[in-house]
Amino acid sequence: MAIPGYSYEFEHRHLLSIEDLSRLDIEHILDLSEEFAEATRAGRRPEPHLKNMTVINLFFENSTRTMSSFEIAAKRLGADVVSMPVAQSSVKKGETLIDTAMTLNAMAPDAIVIRHSASGGVKLLSRKVDCAVINAGDGTHQHPTQGLLDTLTIRRAKGRIEGLKVTICGDILHSRVARSTTMALHLLGAQVTLCGPATLLPSGTETWGAAQAVHDFDKAIEGADVVMMLRLQLERMNGAYLPSQREYFRNFGLTAERLEKAAADATVMHPGPMNRGVEIESAIADGERSVITEQVEMGVAVREAVLKLLSGRRR
Amino acid sequence: MKTLITNAHLACPASGWDEAGSLLFEDGVITAVGAVNETADETIDAGGLCLAPGLIDLRVKTGEPGAEQKETLATASRAAVAGGVTSMVVMPDTDPVIDDVALVQFITNRGKETAKARIYPAGALTKGLKGNAMAEIAMMSGSGAVFFTNGDLPVENPSMLRRTMGYAASCNAIVSSRPNDHALGTSGVMNAGAQAARMGLPGLPREAEWIGLGRDLLLAEATGCTLLVDQVSTARSIDMIRAARDRGVKVYVSVAAHHLFFNELDVGDYLTYCKVNPPFRVEEDRQALIQALVDGEIDAVVSAHDPQPPEEKRLPFGEASFGAAGLETVLSALLALVQDERIDLLDALKPVTSSPADIIGVPQGRLVVGAPADLILFDADKPWLCERENLRSRSLNSPFDGRRMVGRVERTIIAGETVFEF
Repeated sequence: MAIPGYSYEFEHRHLLSIEDLSRLDIEHILDLSEEFAEATRAGRRPEPHLKNMTVINLFFENSTRTMSSFEIAAKRLGADVVSMPVAQSSVKKGETLIDTAMTLNAMAPDAIVIRHSASGGVKLLSRKVDCAVINAGDGTHQHPTQGLLDTLTIRRAKGRIEGLKVTICGDILHSRVARSTTMALHLLGAQVTLCGPATLLPSGTETWGAAQAVHDFDKAIEGADVVMMLRLQLERMNGAYLPSQREYFRNFGLTAERLEKAAADATVMHPGPMNRGVEIESAIADGERSVITEQVEMGVAVREAVLKLLSGRRR
Repeated sequence: MKTLITNAHLACPASGWDEAGSLLFEDGVITAVGAVNETADETIDAGGLCLAPGLIDLRVKTGEPGAEQKETLATASRAAVAGGVTSMVVMPDTDPVIDDVALVQFITNRGKETAKARIYPAGALTKGLKGNAMAEIAMMSGSGAVFFTNGDLPVENPSMLRRTMGYAASCNAIVSSRPNDHALGTSGVMNAGAQAARMGLPGLPREAEWIGLGRDLLLAEATGCTLLVDQVSTARSIDMIRAARDRGVKVYVSVAAHHLFFNELDVGDYLTYCKVNPPFRVEEDRQALIQALVDGEIDAVVSAHDPQPPEEKRLPFGEASFGAAGLETVLSALLALVQDERIDLLDALKPVTSSPADIIGVPQGRLVVGAPADLILFDADKPWLCERENLRSRSLNSPFDGRRMVGRVERTIIAGETVFEF
């Protein structure tokens, strides 16, 4: 959204964290994403902005959804996409992340999309390469394109972000999505409430921009314009962080009854993959308020926008 | 041969010298201090520099034996003397572990053969540091081990620790323990709290230190053992130690120099050089440690020298090893506090000279007649830039990398011999 008399240019070389972006940066990415989304819906192919460019997908963790989303986005823009099976090869041979980065850098890609299990791992790699680096999730730290696609989905559903009450519920502690989405929504003026059991809700969430952090989902959801449920890692259940799936669902599961407490037109979201019957009732996940499928759709659009903005940016 | 150092600013916490003067030593032993009116074979004009006892560091890890690629006694001592450290106690967590007389003697002899600084071994408290069988404390003590510790692996079993402390007390041996509750304090990588949550890193909670410390203090009290609490990092730990002292518990405490300088925010962009254990805590804790130092409640400031090779540090934060090189920066970290007028020079020097000397029972660490001539000449005001590539340790990882420091050692003398000159 351009401000009259103000010249804006997206100046970043990498996309590593929502923390690195300004409000104008985010709005710029969302506007561009919106154009890509509309073009796709209208059946138009976008301009081949990435023609003759090479994008490397470097996923140290398995992720069919995110990797496919980036791959589709890059191919739509005309890039040559190479997906590197690093999880199976070099790591097992003892190669470090920096070694991998320097090897890839020597192949002169135009952008590297990376997912790594270590928080800060993507930042480390970005220091060693000459091309743009896009964080597709680093440990429990950040997943910026997910934060942007969540924000875009909400903006399309509600027509604005400013002043919205957004409740995010679930495993906040281990969620890079929660960190990225909270920061993006806060920057654009939403009031974000984070909710979860004490074992999964860390201290200091106000530094992410959360207005409040609570353990009572029934109160947290009251009057919410948007309710976003987070995936619960089932291996964390049963004794370690939570007593049982049954107790979790009773206190923190999104049911039709609970959703009644939210605003009448509340939007329901989930970054997926969902545990139906643990985080969310199936009827709600598939219901008319759910924009879960649109989140996936916006994911491609946001990634097209980010790739267009960053590809070819070199040191 | 007699050597006279003239035109110096004598700085010695033990004797109270804090004024201009001279010092004479002969055959490695100090023979006169103050206004010296004797002639000498050699005269060193200090040019107004501070002349202090060489530093005594109670916590140094080297890789020798077993991991010489990290550090050897020789390379660590090269860094030590450049930082003004003339005596250092090396930790027993090597491979093999220093848990019997032969290995204590190996470290002692190897130190004499290869190291520039004086080397004192700390013995393992339990065999192999496994925490389930007592090491030969009395025999190692007789062979020169200055205290006994399980290093970075505190004895988990309180019953085992109780027996070990009781046995050590009967041998007049000091037990050193790094306070840490195993179950709470092993899975994190930085201080637990808002910063760790924001960075998506698992935290090491302060409660782990408090619970471990509470246990260690109670067992020291019950057994009459003299306890050296190794590297506290929080304000409440100081309160707990103060309360224990008030109850008559024989307890010494050390702080790592880098904990006086950094807080958790210095981890910044996942800076692995700042990954140490215990981790850098919040600013209030750092300030409390400095205040405890000012109040004379800290018995020893240690380098906690724990060098790691690049392949252990050039990794994502969560995967990198704990540990930092510290021998060359202890004095500057303390002098920064003097420069900021937080502490007097003598009070800053005490926990690195006479106080650690008293703990391990060695005669150096003081400018008095009859003491070994282990001396440093330093410029307390001289600024310098800490650059990792210029460090003398074999492993070039320091949280001070890129920082402007103050205070530079110009000459280091051990037993009357100059072992370092800048």
